[in-house]
Amino acid sequence: MKNLRALQGILQDSSFPSFLMLVLLVFVNAIIQPGFFSFQVFRMNFMTFTPLILVSLAQATVILVGAVDLSLGAGISLVTVVMASLMKDSVFSIITVTLIGFCLALFLSLFNGFFFGYFGPPSLIMTFATSTIWFGISLLIMPTPGGYIPAAYYGIYSKTVAGFLPVPVIVLFVAVGFCLLLGRLKAFRHLYAVGGSERAARASGINVTATKIFGFLVSGVFVALAALCVVGQTATGDARSGQGFTLNSVAAAVIGGFAFSGGKGNYAGAIIGGIILGLLTNIIYFANITSFYQEFMKGVIIIVALLFGALPRLRRELSRR
Amino acid sequence: MSNANFTLRAGEVCGLVGANGSGKTTFARIVSGLLMPDGGELRLYDQPVNLRSHLDAELYRLAMVHQNLSLVPEMTIWENIVLGREQTGPFAFLDNRAAIIQAEGALDIISAKIPVRERAKNISPDEKQLVEIGKALAKDPRILILDEPTASLDFHQVESLFRAIRRLKEKGVSIIFISHRLWEVAKICDRLVAFRNGETVGELDFTSQPRDAKLIIPLITGQEVREKIKKRSNVRELEITNQAARGPALEMRGVSLEGKLHQVSFTLRRGEILGLGGLQGQGQEEILMILAGYLKGYTGEVLVKGRPLSLRNTRRAIREGIALIPGDRHKEGLFLEHTVLSNLLYPKIAMHQGSILLPTARYQQLAEEAVEAVSLIPPNPRLIVSQLSGGNQQKVVVGKWLALSPDVLLLNDPTKGVDVGTRQNLYTIISQLAEKGTSVVLYASDNEELIDNCDRVLIVFERRIVKEIGADDLNEEKLVVSSLNIEHSSEKSAGIHEGNGT
Repeated sequence: MKNLRALQGILQDSSFPSFLMLVLLVFVNAIIQPGFFSFQVFRMNFMTFTPLILVSLAQATVILVGAVDLSLGAGISLVTVVMASLMKDSVFSIITVTLIGFCLALFLSLFNGFFFGYFGPPSLIMTFATSTIWFGISLLIMPTPGGYIPAAYYGIYSKTVAGFLPVPVIVLFVAVGFCLLLGRLKAFRHLYAVGGSERAARASGINVTATKIFGFLVSGVFVALAALCVVGQTATGDARSGQGFTLNSVAAAVIGGFAFSGGKGNYAGAIIGGIILGLLTNIIYFANITSFYQEFMKGVIIIVALLFGALPRLRRELSRR
Repeated sequence: MSNANFTLRAGEVCGLVGANGSGKTTFARIVSGLLMPDGGELRLYDQPVNLRSHLDAELYRLAMVHQNLSLVPEMTIWENIVLGREQTGPFAFLDNRAAIIQAEGALDIISAKIPVRERAKNISPDEKQLVEIGKALAKDPRILILDEPTASLDFHQVESLFRAIRRLKEKGVSIIFISHRLWEVAKICDRLVAFRNGETVGELDFTSQPRDAKLIIPLITGQEVREKIKKRSNVRELEITNQAARGPALEMRGVSLEGKLHQVSFTLRRGEILGLGGLQGQGQEEILMILAGYLKGYTGEVLVKGRPLSLRNTRRAIREGIALIPGDRHKEGLFLEHTVLSNLLYPKIAMHQGSILLPTARYQQLAEEAVEAVSLIPPNPRLIVSQLSGGNQQKVVVGKWLALSPDVLLLNDPTKGVDVGTRQNLYTIISQLAEKGTSVVLYASDNEELIDNCDRVLIVFERRIVKEIGADDLNEEKLVVSSLNIEHSSEKSAGIHEGNGT
């Protein structure tokens, strides 16, 4: 009986359709990418998946509280640019600049959070504006990609610990641990309340402004982790390195079962959504599709993934007729 | 609000009544710390206090039951009940087990059987109301404010709520009971205070005065009780018969809908006001929804003006002259951020055919006529709907269908949360329409409205029509008894098609 209820819970979970999609994509990917299950490919895949998953988690948190953050990508770019222009070879420099990068990412998110929380502009336009500001600052600091990242830093990102744990995967574990911790906090529960119904949250005595800022702060932690990974992956500062992340992360969160209106979804879905988008790029690449069609195919598959997510709702509505 | 006085004695149930916009909700918001008064004094437990927020009010153990707005749909019942006051264990982690126990305990006080693990969006409106009450009780309040707690409850649930209120009163909790249902106020309250235009205009003490709703009405409206406008049934019968030559307006023949309706048949005559009675949720709303084209997949036949018809969608129904005035005006009836004018004209514009350009001047005039017909206050079609009081918003919903001059008007509990004055106004409009030949199907959760306005009432019980009551037999007792379907079917009245009786 209890097992049955647990099973029902899984089937009705908002991230379940995306999980089905994931299984399907892993299957397809395994067929067309040689050595998909080999350790090397696994490691390489996660080097690119990890930042995307982290950004998806960041976006998902913001969407949860009923907003959207279009400045995530530009924020990541700004962090890479700042880090690449400051970092020197010494251990001390590497550690302090990493911390600076981390705090900068947090600050950028908090900036958005404060504005959104206190003045309540539409987050779409608000973060679009900040994204161009971040981009402008990045270009001022570094008009063309460059800077210097010591091998000691980016070397770590491609390392494997204890022979079977690639560093990107460890970073993911840290992020998952953070998610689990969050899930047990009062403030996190309030994210769902504020996103689900701001009026109800207010009537329940929740500090709505603080909750919104908290959402952006949590998002900032994920963005910071993602930015550090991107620096490790690309080993340069580039004002455009984060561009692709913004809308991909929105797609990942929505595919993963997050309601765009807020208050619905769970982190497992965001992680799955992130992996789905990573696998998509892989599949398109290995399926030998001409590069002209790659973006086209990607769009088509994202729409299919969205339909997947809409299936339970459609079924419910049809049965009601 | 100006110059309002209110005293709540310890351990009493005090009613607060008044028309829509008389300041009841403003009062509740001030007392619960959501609004700051400009002047005057607020004393709690004989101490002057200054409530700056909701949280301050909670410190004084004052809890308010909101009119169905403090539940987050995507969260579970227990999450909702403890929302904002979650208990935490070690490391500031949430203590979910304690929360579930607390939630179940709170619902137990009002003996509400609701699965606490269900999401709030999946439960019915009356269950939501009970959860709202449970949520307030979970705060263990000494003062409890109930703002229209019975609006979506049926009379069984009202009874069990009243039992809970009496139990709380015994425990020394003081209760402010805000309601439009005067007989309920008369029944449960020890005393009542009436507001009009933001002022205290009167008090009634039920320990020295009879518990009679009629005493309350003059306090609210400032006028003596208006005599019932209902005509004698034989006069109405004549009026309806005069229309009979034009054939029935609408007919349902053996309509069934999986799990919702079973073999429902009835005929709606022209110019008739037909009531749907019975307990809540027995299938009355489904009948209206099918007729309005919202529900599909039913079996059986629906005839409009004698012609069989498949009501594929709402648009089709509107074209056939069937208009639904929904119960939840915020959800289906109105565009709150648009002007009265636009709201009044949307259905008209949607149905427009012929010229490419819309006849704006004529529409303008139609809107002004509608505003006058429903006596909107203030009579300005340029206002934004959300700025109007609840009763006037409801008038706009009615007005927009009047512009279409429908043949059949479906009313789904139209006076929920509407004050006495507006209610009388609404039913005056409806009876005028009926005189002109519009047929009306009225579902009301308040039996009194059915008695006062209908020519005939069909009682729906467990998905079927089990009884028909004619105007001469309409009374409260008859309706309640039939609603429970405890009578024998031998009394089955004539006029119901076969296949309906039990």
